[in-house]
Amino acid sequence: MATHGKKQDNRSPADWWLFVLGFVLFAAVGFWATPAILYAEKPQPFQFSHKLHMEQVGEGCQSCHAFREDGSYTGIPSLEKCKECHGEEPMGETPEEKVFSKDYVAKNKPIPWQVYSKQPPCVFFSHAAHVANAGLECASCHGDHGDTEKLRTYEYNRLTGYSRDIWGWSLIPLDGPPKRMKMDDCAKCHRDNGVRDACFVCHK
Amino acid sequence: MNWDRRAFVKFAVGAVVGLNASPLVPKLMDDVAIWTQNWSWVPDPETGAVAFAKSINPATQTGVKARLVKARLSGQRVIRVEGDPEHPLSQGGVLAADAAAPQQSYYQAMRVDAPMVRKEGVRGRVAAEEAVQKVAAKLKALAQAGKASQVAIIADDPFSVTGEMLMRLAAAYGTPNLVFMPSAKQTLALAGGLMFGQGDIGFDLANATYTVSFGTPLLEGFGAPVAVRKAFAAWRKDPMHRATLVQVEPRSSVTASQADLWLACKPGTEGVLAYAMANLMIQAGKVDSAAANAAGFEQFKALLAGEYSLEKASQASGVPADKIKAVAEGFMKAPKAVAVCGPGNSGDPGRLFDFMAVLALNAVKGNLGKPGGLVLRQGVAWKALGGPLDLPGAPRLDGGGKRIMGSYSAYDLAAAALKGQPYPLEALIVVGCNPAFAGPQAKVMRQLIDNTPFVACVSEFMDETAELADVVLPKASFLECWGDCATPYGAAQSFYGVHQPLVSALPQTKSAGDWLLAVAKLLGGKAAEALPFAEAKEALAARAEGLGGLEDLAAKGYWMQEKPAYGFSFKTPSGRLELAPSALGKPAAPAAGVAPSKERPLLMAGIPSLRTGAGGAPMSPYQVKILDEITLAHKDQLVVEINPQTAHAMHLGEGDMVEIASAAGKINARLHLYHGAAPGMVFVPVGLGHTAFGMYLKNKGANFFEAVEVAADPGSGLPQWALTPVSIAKAGGVSHV
Repeated sequence: MATHGKKQDNRSPADWWLFVLGFVLFAAVGFWATPAILYAEKPQPFQFSHKLHMEQVGEGCQSCHAFREDGSYTGIPSLEKCKECHGEEPMGETPEEKVFSKDYVAKNKPIPWQVYSKQPPCVFFSHAAHVANAGLECASCHGDHGDTEKLRTYEYNRLTGYSRDIWGWSLIPLDGPPKRMKMDDCAKCHRDNGVRDACFVCHK
Repeated sequence: MNWDRRAFVKFAVGAVVGLNASPLVPKLMDDVAIWTQNWSWVPDPETGAVAFAKSINPATQTGVKARLVKARLSGQRVIRVEGDPEHPLSQGGVLAADAAAPQQSYYQAMRVDAPMVRKEGVRGRVAAEEAVQKVAAKLKALAQAGKASQVAIIADDPFSVTGEMLMRLAAAYGTPNLVFMPSAKQTLALAGGLMFGQGDIGFDLANATYTVSFGTPLLEGFGAPVAVRKAFAAWRKDPMHRATLVQVEPRSSVTASQADLWLACKPGTEGVLAYAMANLMIQAGKVDSAAANAAGFEQFKALLAGEYSLEKASQASGVPADKIKAVAEGFMKAPKAVAVCGPGNSGDPGRLFDFMAVLALNAVKGNLGKPGGLVLRQGVAWKALGGPLDLPGAPRLDGGGKRIMGSYSAYDLAAAALKGQPYPLEALIVVGCNPAFAGPQAKVMRQLIDNTPFVACVSEFMDETAELADVVLPKASFLECWGDCATPYGAAQSFYGVHQPLVSALPQTKSAGDWLLAVAKLLGGKAAEALPFAEAKEALAARAEGLGGLEDLAAKGYWMQEKPAYGFSFKTPSGRLELAPSALGKPAAPAAGVAPSKERPLLMAGIPSLRTGAGGAPMSPYQVKILDEITLAHKDQLVVEINPQTAHAMHLGEGDMVEIASAAGKINARLHLYHGAAPGMVFVPVGLGHTAFGMYLKNKGANFFEAVEVAADPGSGLPQWALTPVSIAKAGGVSHV
């Protein structure tokens, strides 16, 4: 028994701090590495001020992001919509507008915007049902996008190709809209408001 | 601190736990799952404004609109097919066979997606040129050998542009043997022709307030089924002005169950009841002047008074006299009453006597050319594809010329060709129909295909006929190609519908018309001259010239006579209504029909259903799923209906597996005892029991047409299979799996 007791005494102390070190270090690597590995940036074609435009138009978001006659939603406005106000000559002084006039309006080329809120094609989403029928504000899902002076950096998921806004900018999925636009958020809102949340409501 | 093994393990475990506590793993797992959505072969719908294009399903004549992405009208996937609310016939309604089914059928594994040729007994895919060349070479060789008349063509619809192209091709090539699948349109045209001198007639159901349907499945596949159901829905809409529907037939069918009154008559006595009602009206002095002045009215009156008195009719039909009287009075008093005849429940063209009795009842009522009555149609003013062609001199195999109005009959053609009288067939071409399944006497048609040295077919699916053919040419579906269809059976207004390509056709499929043009081109000579079109669309455009042009027609989807034409005229030899038609010399009377015998004591009739077969089109896989246990038990057993009394007398019970045998063939089925079935009869669902079409349709029940025995209608000479004498015996086996 004495021998056994001696052996125990000689063993190294319970270095639990090494466990903690490993945990903290690699959890940090996980938190740091995940977005670094997974997300890449894509530039927008040119800068755009929603704030400036909101001051110029009369009907808020709907002035440019409108419903078609059949109730479907135009989403990002087409170049034709921009051309209702903008000509080949810039209206203001900003370098961004010069790029817009020269490279797009003059060449009649559609603007390849990166769309932050673009959902996967397997999702059917009706803006009419949510905005016109349920009376949701645009900001409920899209946040304060309409008040921003600059377009923030667009990041996309290298693996899935979808905008980072869908999963949300926080890696821990605790947020809801407008910080995140995942299926769970749609389902939760449907449940909370007593709306059917079966698969086929959105996945046709 | 010593960096020993234990220290490393602690650190490593901490690292693993730490890494797992970070979002790396769950995030990557989720993203991998989402990544699968973006594989290149996963369909990705186009975005854009929604647009609609009009079309029509020629099998059911339901007007549909396809929802698609704007500016991509062809060469793409349709988002979905839905009812067209602006369509005057179907008014936004669809059948199971119209909307989801064509889309499902489009991708069905049993579609023929490439031309096929049988070489040394084995069928294999070949290039389109080779398949067409094979057909053309065979036809050419036969023509050169003076055997052109020994080529027969069986097709689905004589009124479509494909039908007209076939008529031209057959005449130019030199065969008189072009026949179409039997239809009640033939019988109605015959009856109308005999009595009114006009065969283009319809029933103004939408405006009728009292309708008596004589043995025709008004709600289960009559004319354009959706249009008839819309008319029925309108009858029931306003409870204060509810229209009355009386159904006369031996089985409590869907129509009978929806009717206000069901006259459960003995099989084959529908016409007798129509005559009895006309007799009651004559006796009551309620005869319209046109009928009173009709040629042969006195003869007609005497016949009815003698043979179709209330008592005699009640005895013959088994319907209580008071019920016959009540319906006759209701019919007489109703301001807008119409009596309707049509295809039988077995899908046969109907008995000429029944049709003539029903037309006579309408004439006595005086509803000819009146709202809610029997109306003349304006006709469809399409332009002929070319000048008239000389018809070949050889006698027709189906003996068409021997019948009153020279009607075609695929069954008679087959029977004559099999006997070799007056000559056998050397080649058979089947276009857009499936006679090896739908017969009408399936076995005879299969024998014809087996005995004919060369068989080619143009088919959308690898169906029973295609499986037996030497050459199979893949036919495009109505969503993939240009085509048309004309006035549905019984419609009050003339109608013409056009369909156009809305989805990319499978690469090697073509419309039936395009395949015909390819063959005609290789045949050269008169055949090529008769069809001087580069593509079938040109032929359709030529036809549509008389109706305002193809472009406008395609945009609207149809042409339709503005409103029913009220007013009536007779084009008979006497210039009057002929109740004793000149061609017959006497009023129509029933000849001895099919009767049960000691060996075959029961009469078999079909149960029509829009679920099991609308317009002859095969069910789509999902339609099989919606069949209930009293149609298809345990997914594969056909269920037939029999009256409990009849069953008990034969020592049969619910769920017994039986063999139903006629002189023509037999089928196995499971018995369902049903009080709504007339005693002495067995009722069999029509449209099940395919032996082709792969796992979803193959061997699901048994085929009604295997047991059908065709007889010639004594009046019209047309094939008749409303009733078949059969025997029933226990087949053993269990009724469940």
